[in-house]
Parts: sequence; structure tokens; C-alpha cells
Amino acid sequence: MVIKKKKIFNRRKVCRFCTDKSLMIDYKDVKTLRNFVTERGKIIPRRIYGNCAHHQRQLTEAIKRARQIALLPYAGQTQQ
Amino acid sequence: MRRYETIVIVRPGAGETEFSSVSDKVTGTIEGFGGLIVRTDRWGLKKLAYPIKKEAQGDFLYVEYAGLPDGVKEMERLIRIDDRVLKFMTVKTQEVFTPDAPKVEEPAAESETSAVSADEASE
Repeated sequence: MVIKKKKIFNRRKVCRFCTDKSLMIDYKDVKTLRNFVTERGKIIPRRIYGNCAHHQRQLTEAIKRARQIALLPYAGQTQQ
Repeated sequence: MRRYETIVIVRPGAGETEFSSVSDKVTGTIEGFGGLIVRTDRWGLKKLAYPIKKEAQGDFLYVEYAGLPDGVKEMERLIRIDDRVLKFMTVKTQEVFTPDAPKVEEPAAESETSAVSADEASE
């Protein structure tokens, strides 16, 4: 049925930061932030990982800060 | 008083004495304006995500402190002049901070962050 077909696409994604409260978003914590940018340094949209709006906002802020102080690239390595 | 943290990237070839003189300049200015240093940390030599002033590496200095806006302004003015500093960034982490009890380290950090200023002392 229609509903069953849809179910395949409707896998619920849950915000990683909501489920694990101990995970903090910090611009100094490059290891965590790396998970949310592409290899070229672009911020991954929240529809991919299912972050909630609140945490995605914090994440964007943190990534932009990390870029300012050269912890993360603005534009990733072009070659390699 | 407000709570801030500042990251300063020092030119890597500068040497120990140069580094500590930059570090003293930062902490000294803050204390001169009645601020209080909570923590200073040297992250050491790190690879930069992009070259700054043609340097691929930088020596990172991290300072966490309580202070007044004037102190921050003056400190930033001084390190902007300094040739040994590649780049720096100050972030306000707490609007109100009483230095009597410098307890909570991490939980406060994320509550109220807003970039005060970031400046590239180049180009």
C-alpha cells in the first residue's frame, strides 16, 4: 500500500545532540565539527543528519567560528 | 564583568621568549584593566586550515578570563599592532561573571556565546 511504500523513505532521523546530552557543540572541538562538514569544508544541511533546528544553528555558529581562527577551512582542499 | 575567551595565533618561528612575551602582553593588559585570568593554555603548534600571512602553521594561545569591554578593546588593539601575531579571535562566553568563584568550566561555555570580534591582522 501507499503507506508502506512511503515508510522506506520516512526513516526517522533523530538529532544527535538531543539524544546524547553529553555531546557539546564547541567551536574548539574540531573533531566533532568535522563530522558535519563535507570533505571540502561545506556545512552539511540538516536534512541529511536530521539535526534539530536549535542544534543545527549552534553547529553553524561553531563551524563559522572555527573557520575564523583557522581550525576549519573556508573552502576545502581543492586537490588531493 | 564579562567572561571572554581569546585565541591568539602566534607566528611559529618566533621562539619561546617571543611567545611568552605575547602571552604576557595579553594577560598583562587584561589584568591592568582589572580583569582576572581564569585559565591560559598553550595548544602548541597546529596546522592552519588555510595559510595566514603565508604561514602554514601557527602557535596557538588560549586565554580564558573575566574582564571589562575596555580591557578587551585595548588588548586587541595591542595585539593587532604586534607583528608576531598572525590572527586572533575573542568570544564572549558569559554576560555576567563574578570571578570570586571560578568554578564551572565547560557548561557555561555554550550557553551564551557571541563573537565579539575576530580580526585578521593582515591583507
